[in-house]
Amino acid sequence: MFRLQGSKVLAVDMTGDAVKAKNGSMVAYDGQMAFKKMSGGGEGLRGMVTRRLTGEQMTLMEVKGHGTCWFADRASEINLVSLQGDKLYVESSNLLATDGGLRTGTSFTGMRGASQGNGLFTTTVEGHGQAAIMSDGPAVVLRVSAQYPLTVDPGAYVAHQGNLRQSFQSGVTFRTLMGEGGGEAFQIRFEGDGLVYVQPSERNTIAGDV
Amino acid sequence: MSHYPGAGPTVYDPMTLPSDDNVNAYTFCVELKGSQWFLQKGKMIAYYGSMEFNGVGHGGLDRLVRTSFHSPLHASDWVVAQGSGKMLLADRAFDVNSYDLEDGNLTIRSGNLLAFQPSLALKQSIVPGFLTLIGTGKFVAASNGPVVFMEPPIRVDPQALVGWADCPSPCHHYDHGYMTGVMGGLRALTGLGGASGEEHQFEFVGAGTVLLQSTETLMAEHATGAVPPDAGVPGSGAPHTGPSQVAGAPRLPGQLGDLQRRFGL
Repeated sequence: MFRLQGSKVLAVDMTGDAVKAKNGSMVAYDGQMAFKKMSGGGEGLRGMVTRRLTGEQMTLMEVKGHGTCWFADRASEINLVSLQGDKLYVESSNLLATDGGLRTGTSFTGMRGASQGNGLFTTTVEGHGQAAIMSDGPAVVLRVSAQYPLTVDPGAYVAHQGNLRQSFQSGVTFRTLMGEGGGEAFQIRFEGDGLVYVQPSERNTIAGDV
Repeated sequence: MSHYPGAGPTVYDPMTLPSDDNVNAYTFCVELKGSQWFLQKGKMIAYYGSMEFNGVGHGGLDRLVRTSFHSPLHASDWVVAQGSGKMLLADRAFDVNSYDLEDGNLTIRSGNLLAFQPSLALKQSIVPGFLTLIGTGKFVAASNGPVVFMEPPIRVDPQALVGWADCPSPCHHYDHGYMTGVMGGLRALTGLGGASGEEHQFEFVGAGTVLLQSTETLMAEHATGAVPPDAGVPGSGAPHTGPSQVAGAPRLPGQLGDLQRRFGL
């Protein structure tokens, strides 16, 4: 059971079950806990090779036991996500913890990943259970539905879940090259049905400068 | 319609997002209905609806820029958003707040100003590094920690100052007690033996409001553009036309006079 203690510490109550968490993110626990490093994020040899090849590396540990375990990472804001069979797409660096029963994997993101400056691949989390993602400042959760598509700045994008199509928009014109651009030359447009998590801060991307 | 229970406290859509108000302490939502807003480049994090972002140099904006924008030399930091929909603004996870001006004026540190309505006119302040907004309308500013409003007369720490409204007299203030006499002179020069780091303040008097942030960590400055190199324009680097200062060692900030004079030589 995931719960937030404040906005920057995640508390997980465990009764013999397991959670996967970012390596080294445990700040305290009480009760009996075992921490085991999961090579390759627990995705087996194939997952390990995929992660090595895609650069979407993630070192996870498996925490198992009875009691409460607290996780935090560099005072980042933590957001809880609950999954009911749908898929969460998140950057591996923004993933703090997931229920032990959730499957993680990698997926290709194309130009969106490139524009965010963190690679062409992203991490997926799938199944039934909870996950905790991190953001710089509390994330705003925005719903995307058929009549309300959403456009997001790649630098502020954190994660999305549900059945969403994303398309990459580029507004690069000759003005951009003259230094007279709109500052928002790269955007990702989400259509479909789902949720998008954006953070109130922009990572440094090429898009931010043009 | 699927539901995601437990997915954060609130899920927003265009109907539930506030109009021209804060979503949380760090995110501000602007509603555009065919209207325009000036915003600093790259501070839009997401939007619903259809919007266009154009640099201030965009031809179609000439008229708008002529009436609301008077800092030609830092124009490349600003864009104009136009269209309809709702747009979220945020700045490096700093606190953001909106302020209403009613036929007023407000001067703000250039790095703190995020966005403003074109009914306000943006001008460079005579004080280097500051911008002045004049008119009626709403603007959004970021600060490192929540903003505190103070009434003059007040002396404030230079790093905590965000801006001021309606009071025309910002000036430097030095606590002289700590640097009188021989020991005081040594202390001021070396910082040894009791400089508290608070000997220099900004002083405001008169009617108005002073805006302070709750840390002394400055936000990154934005260039406000150079001023014309005329004599008498502060920050222009133009040579003084009046009698020049006595040549000597470069003055320390807050230093009252040369050591010779201090020691009566």
